[in-house]
Amino acid sequence: MINTNPLERYSRQMRFPGLGKTGQEKLLASRVTLCGCGALGTVLANVLVRAGVGFVRVIDRDFVEPSNLQRQVLFDESDVANNLPKAEAAATKLRQINSSVTVEPIVADINRTNIEDFCDGADLILDGSDNFEIRYLINDVSIKHNKPWVYGGAVGSQGMSMTIIPGETPCLRCVFEAAPAPGETGTCETAGVLAPAVNIVASYQATEAIKLLSGNKAVVNRELIILDVWENTNKRVKVAPLAGRKGQCPCCAKRNFEWLDGAHGTQTTTLCGRNAVQVSHRVKGKLDFAYLATVLKQSGEVSYNKFLLKFQLVENGDPYEFTVFEDGRAIIKGTDEPDKARTLYAKYVGH
Amino acid sequence: MAIKVQIPTPMREQSGGKAEVEVTGATVKAALEDLLRQYPAMGPKLFADGKIRPYINVFLNDEDIRYLDEMDTAVTDGVILALIPAVAGG
Repeated sequence: MINTNPLERYSRQMRFPGLGKTGQEKLLASRVTLCGCGALGTVLANVLVRAGVGFVRVIDRDFVEPSNLQRQVLFDESDVANNLPKAEAAATKLRQINSSVTVEPIVADINRTNIEDFCDGADLILDGSDNFEIRYLINDVSIKHNKPWVYGGAVGSQGMSMTIIPGETPCLRCVFEAAPAPGETGTCETAGVLAPAVNIVASYQATEAIKLLSGNKAVVNRELIILDVWENTNKRVKVAPLAGRKGQCPCCAKRNFEWLDGAHGTQTTTLCGRNAVQVSHRVKGKLDFAYLATVLKQSGEVSYNKFLLKFQLVENGDPYEFTVFEDGRAIIKGTDEPDKARTLYAKYVGH
Repeated sequence: MAIKVQIPTPMREQSGGKAEVEVTGATVKAALEDLLRQYPAMGPKLFADGKIRPYINVFLNDEDIRYLDEMDTAVTDGVILALIPAVAGG
């Protein structure tokens, strides 16, 4: 059956009065940058691609693992078996879902040196990440370049979401001035996470995205959504407006982009729930996996494909597993100490 | 009647597992001081250098106290103070 009307697939949401044909056409012409494609990100990408958002750039640094499948809706066992990067695996699924929109996967670690490029041209930035370093970077880019973004977070049975429209609503730093240090609040490791909690948060985020991209800014939720699916609470609270901090917000009032400027953030990131540390290391060009594999074979087990290289070794009786990406970045499993990870990286991957 | 303080999940180890506790005081500051008198272990979870930790918000009946008079905001019996830390995962 060939349907000659390309808008037919969107007929049910176009019938919704808030959207209509005009709203749909705006969605089709819109561009989104999705930062992170894990639990929140896969739900966001799924909803937006189905809804007909014309261009979705999906950025993620990670690869698909068995423990992702409980909640990361775009992935399946074959993605695990093939060691696929999340951005690539998601793009394949998303193109099958809707071949009429453009999906651009980027396998990369989002950091202060690349995030402005990743968000260039986007009408909206979406938070599909699992850490505050990326969220504060998004917040800086949002305020600096006057682009809205939607924060979402989930852990255990709890979730939170907020929409930031520069110049109109408080920004993330108005509400949470600084990030919790590791161990100060619940993480995926200590508290676990329920799929429905993440799905609900991402669905709120996706709804806000559809409102903003379809020209319905007037109905955007301007409060902080806080929910707990286990304790049966769901509320919206008023967050302090720009004036509530007496013009003191370092980001949206004073326009100090501390995360983009590198005053915060490190080159290592402890990964939520995995006894692993990511070490970012910039190299010119791409790593030569074939060469690296021959070097590392002297110290442990090595395997690689076109996206990543795996290296397992035992050092002083402790097992470690490296996953090395073409851009020089490595995820080192077996430690949650950044210094140890840096040392291991320098020792085996080098400069 | 007293002031009810809602304790977030990451701080319940320090509140003896309680999700809500009762305190007294005429201001948010006094109420939180009473909270710490009853549950001293919550001190370092909630405060650093004498200030509320920057990733925790205090809401009085669903309004950010920074929107009101911050720690000097007056409270009366029956109000709910919610301690809301940022949710990181995802």
